[in-house]
Amino acid sequence: MQPRTARPTFLNFARIRFPVGAVASIGHRVSGVLLACALPFAVLLLERSLRSEAAFAALLEGFRSPAGRAGLVILAWACAHHLFAGIRHLLMDIGVGSTLSAGRRSAYAALAAALAVAATVAGMALAA
Amino acid sequence: MRLFSGQRAFVLQRLSALVLLAYLAGGALWLAFGPAPTFSRWQAWSAQPLAAAALLVLAAAVLAHAWVGVRDVMLDYLRPLALRLAALGAVATVLAGLAAWTALILFSHVLAFA
Amino acid sequence: MRFRVFRFDPERDARPRLQDYDVRLKPSDRMVLDALVRLKEQDDSISFRRSCREGVCGSDAMNINGLNALACITPLKDLPEPVTLYPLPAFPVIRDLIVDMTQFFAHYHAIKPYLVNDEAPPERERLQSPQEHEKLNGLYECILCACCSSFCPSQWWNPEKFLGPAALLQAERFIVDSRDRATGARIEFLDDVYKLYRCRSIMNCTEVCPKKLNPAGAIERIKVALLRKSA
Repeated sequence: MQPRTARPTFLNFARIRFPVGAVASIGHRVSGVLLACALPFAVLLLERSLRSEAAFAALLEGFRSPAGRAGLVILAWACAHHLFAGIRHLLMDIGVGSTLSAGRRSAYAALAAALAVAATVAGMALAA
Repeated sequence: MRLFSGQRAFVLQRLSALVLLAYLAGGALWLAFGPAPTFSRWQAWSAQPLAAAALLVLAAAVLAHAWVGVRDVMLDYLRPLALRLAALGAVATVLAGLAAWTALILFSHVLAFA
Repeated sequence: MRFRVFRFDPERDARPRLQDYDVRLKPSDRMVLDALVRLKEQDDSISFRRSCREGVCGSDAMNINGLNALACITPLKDLPEPVTLYPLPAFPVIRDLIVDMTQFFAHYHAIKPYLVNDEAPPERERLQSPQEHEKLNGLYECILCACCSSFCPSQWWNPEKFLGPAALLQAERFIVDSRDRATGARIEFLDDVYKLYRCRSIMNCTEVCPKKLNPAGAIERIKVALLRKSA
């Protein structure tokens, strides 16, 4: 007998629990996309730094605003998380720490270390 | 030849990651033990052809790494083929543009100092 | 004990709904499956698969309090209430907790889950040394319950093209089998941006495997075998 309605699927992210490895992994992806979006700015930074000290300083002036400081903290987190989670994946590729318990520990470590870097940069951004 | 390779992208992502790690370590060592960075030092150093070439390799590694990563994100989340191809084309164009821009910046800098 | 259960009857429901139950357990009821059987005594309209009730057949895989598990070996005493029971994520729901496994088994068949060996068979069986057999440990025990594949984000985004952790674990099981003669063809088949390389080593598969296997580790070893092959 033909069912009256199409088959639904259950995929409610509020109901599914995400293990720490999944959190570290989605963080790796989000931070990577953020860094990719920052690439044009990085090239601009290179261009200004080679042009003159004044041009470079003028570009960095934008980071003095509250939004600029927040952006800086987010970018610092993205750099740190992408680096730590990336090293974790490179090691797992060659079979280092690829058991479940080791994978959980390294995921916690990568998440915590990146947040620590972000907190340090946030402290500096508030003080400066 | 397949439009999206599996292993080639996998290897490119890992190799570029290793290159970036090496540059990061080198940069950190330079900051820790090298002379204090000043603008004149930085501008004179990067005007040497070999240094500019090294910076170009760094840019190539960053852009290649970004390409594989963004491509993976789009293969996962963009289901309609037309949308996916359009987005991938746009990303490839921007990344190629950034590569050309970086090469132009470094090349003209080397020439200006020569 | 309180339960919140995903309900869907294609004959009656336009969309899925949640139903709350207060199940009167007996002292002998220790696992989620025991509670489900008790629940069915109260409301016989609920459907779920079960068979061996001891974690061997893999029929009663479902999402219990957010994690995929086998109902028959998930103890009730550890679960916070209400216990939420959903069907396996991302699989089409046929009815209530019963999902359509067609795609899952199509991926499994795609990796040729049998020995390929055209050499003349010996008088008795093809023998393995203990060392050769050792390589199959952690691979052959898979019961195809689909807990892993249904919990894999890469499988959610590309369900038709990415083979998923269960099929890839079985691919590795036949790649490393000393009696198999199709190793090269097996590895070559997997060299594909979708079939194998959608795996991002998230390890959700390993997190939920009720047999404590490590599909993520098996997938990494396939990638290394592919590297060796092209090097």
